[in-house]
Amino acid sequence: RPVIHAAPSVRRLARELGVDIAQVRGSGPAGRVSEDDVRAFQKGGS
Amino acid sequence: MDFDVLVIGAGPGGYHAAIRAAQLGLKVACAEMGAVGGVCLNIGCIPTKALLHAGETIANTRHAADFGLSYGPATLDIAKMNGWKDGIVKKLTGGVAGLFKANKVTHLVGQASFIDANTVKIGDKTYTASSFIIATGSEPATLKGLDVDQVAIVDSTGALNVPDPVPARMLCVGGGVIGFEFAHIYNNLGSKVKVIEFLPNIIPGADADAVKEFGKIMKKQGIEIVTRMKANSAQKQADGVHVELENVETGEKTTEVFDRVLVAVGRRPRTAGLNLEAAGLKATERGFIEVNTRMQTGVPHIYAVGDVAGNPMLAHKAMKEGLVAAEVIAGKPSEQDAVAIPGVVYTSPELAWVGLTEQEAIDKGYKVKTGLFPMSASGRAMTLQSTEGFVKMVVEEGTDLLLGVHIVAAHASDLLGEAGLALEMAATASDVALTIHAHPTLGEAVLEAAESVHKQAIHIVNR
Ligand SMILES: Cc1cc2nc3c(=O)[nH]c(=O)nc-3n(C[C@H](O)[C@H](O)[C@H](O)COP(=O)(O)OP(=O)(O)OC[C@H]3O[C@@H](n4cnc5c(N)ncnc54)[C@H](O)[C@@H]3O)c2cc1C
Repeated sequence: RPVIHAAPSVRRLARELGVDIAQVRGSGPAGRVSEDDVRAFQKGGS
Repeated sequence: MDFDVLVIGAGPGGYHAAIRAAQLGLKVACAEMGAVGGVCLNIGCIPTKALLHAGETIANTRHAADFGLSYGPATLDIAKMNGWKDGIVKKLTGGVAGLFKANKVTHLVGQASFIDANTVKIGDKTYTASSFIIATGSEPATLKGLDVDQVAIVDSTGALNVPDPVPARMLCVGGGVIGFEFAHIYNNLGSKVKVIEFLPNIIPGADADAVKEFGKIMKKQGIEIVTRMKANSAQKQADGVHVELENVETGEKTTEVFDRVLVAVGRRPRTAGLNLEAAGLKATERGFIEVNTRMQTGVPHIYAVGDVAGNPMLAHKAMKEGLVAAEVIAGKPSEQDAVAIPGVVYTSPELAWVGLTEQEAIDKGYKVKTGLFPMSASGRAMTLQSTEGFVKMVVEEGTDLLLGVHIVAAHASDLLGEAGLALEMAATASDVALTIHAHPTLGEAVLEAAESVHKQAIHIVNR
C-alpha cells in the first residue's frame, strides 16, 4: 500500500467519513492531506 | 452469550484489547493460562530492561573516575539484583490485574481452547462470546543440537536468571535484538561474551550504517562478534558446554567451551492448544494467524493481534493492534495504519530506528538524501559521558519528506518519540529543523541531523 501523507487524525477522519484517503489529493506541502482536503473530497466525490 | 468479547491471552496485545473494549462499554473477559502481562512484563521487555539498567550502572561507575569520583571495590549481590528485577515485574503485573478489576474485565484463569466459533473451553467450563480476540503471543524458537536446560544452555527466559557467580565465558547464538541485549547485560556483569550470527549482518532490519556503528561500539566494550557463523551442537561436560561452531562460508568447524550458552535465534507464534480448527481457522505455514488491517481473521468475528498475528514481534505493535481490534468490535472505524513501527535495542548506547532504512527507501524507488549528526558534537552528550553514535535521517529528495530516522545514542529510544510523530504527521526535514529543541538536550541531535540534510548543521562542518 502506498504511503499516505496525512496525520493519524486525518486518516481516522477519512475512515469515519468513508473516504478512501488514497484517492484524496493533498493541498499541503509535499502533497500532505488535511482535514479540509478530506471533507472537500467527500462533498465533491459523493 | 456470556460475553461480548473474550480475549485469549493477557500479554500487551490482550490486556490492551480487553481494557479498551471495556472502556467502550462491552462485556469483556480475558483468559490467561500463565501470568497476566504476558511475555513482555514477565519474561521479556521489563526484566531485560531492569538487568540492562543494573549492568549500565555498573559500567557507569567505571566512567565516573573521569570526573574524579572513585569508589571502593564494587560488590554486586546477584541474588538482590535478581530479586529487585522480580519486584518490578510483580508490581507491573499486579498493576494490570488491578486495571482489569477497575475496568470490570473478567479474568478467566486457564488455557482457552475453541470448541466452536463462538465457544471456548477453559478447564472444565465453557464460555460463549460474540467476538474473540486471539492474543496468544509467541515462544522462543529452538535450535537442533542445542537442548535448552535453562541452566547451562538457556533461552531468553533462563538468561533472565543471572547465576552466581556470573558465567566467565558466555556465548550468544543469534545477533538480533534479544541476543545483543543479553550480551550487553552479561558483558557489563563481567562475563567474556561472544555473539555469533548466521547472517552477514547483526540486528537484521536496522540501517546498515547504524548497525556498523553499533557493532563497532559493542566490540569496543569487549563483546566479540562473529558473523556468518552457526552453532551445530552443544554438549555439557565437566569443564563447561562444548559448542561446535561452523563458519558458514568455509565450512570450517571448531569447538569452543563456554560456561553459559544463550539460544536467541528468533521467536515463533504460539497457537498450540487453541484448537483453531474448531473455530474454522488455520495458521499459516509459519504459524501466524493471518489478519487484515482491522485485525480480523478469515472468520469475521474472530480477531488476532500481537506476536501471533505477524511480524514485527514487538510489544508496542501488539498494544496498538489490541486497541484496533477492540475498537473495530465496538463499531469504530479503527485500522492498523501506522506509517512506521519503531525498533529499539536497549543497550548503552541504544540503537533505535523508525521508518525506512536508506536501503529500503532506495529499494522502494525513492530518490534519497541523508543527514547525519555525530553525538561527539553534542554538548549534552559530553556532559553525559556518552558521545558515541549519531542520528541519521533519511529524506526524500525534492519533497524533503522524512522517510526514516536511525539513532545510535544514549536514550535513543526516547528520542524516537519525536521521530515517530514526525513520520506519522508526514513532516519534512525542514519541519523538524524549524522546531525549537531545548538546549542542551540529546534531542538537538535530531534537529541538527535534519539541518545536515540541507547542509546547514551548525555544530559540524557540512560536506
Ligand atoms: C527477552 C525478551 C525481551 C523483549 N523486549 C522487548 C522490548 O524491549 N520491547 C518490545 O517491544 N518487545 C520486546 N519483546 C517482545 C515482546 O515481549 C512481545 O512482542 C510481546 O510480549 C507480544 O505481546 P502479545 O500480547 O502478542 O503476546 P505475549 O506477551 O506472548 O502474551 C501472550 C499470552 O497469552 C497466553 N496464552 C497463550 N495461549 C493461551 C491460551 N490458549 N489460553 C490462555 N492463555 C494463553 C500466554 O500465557 C501469554 O501470557 C521482548 C521479548 C523477549 C522474549
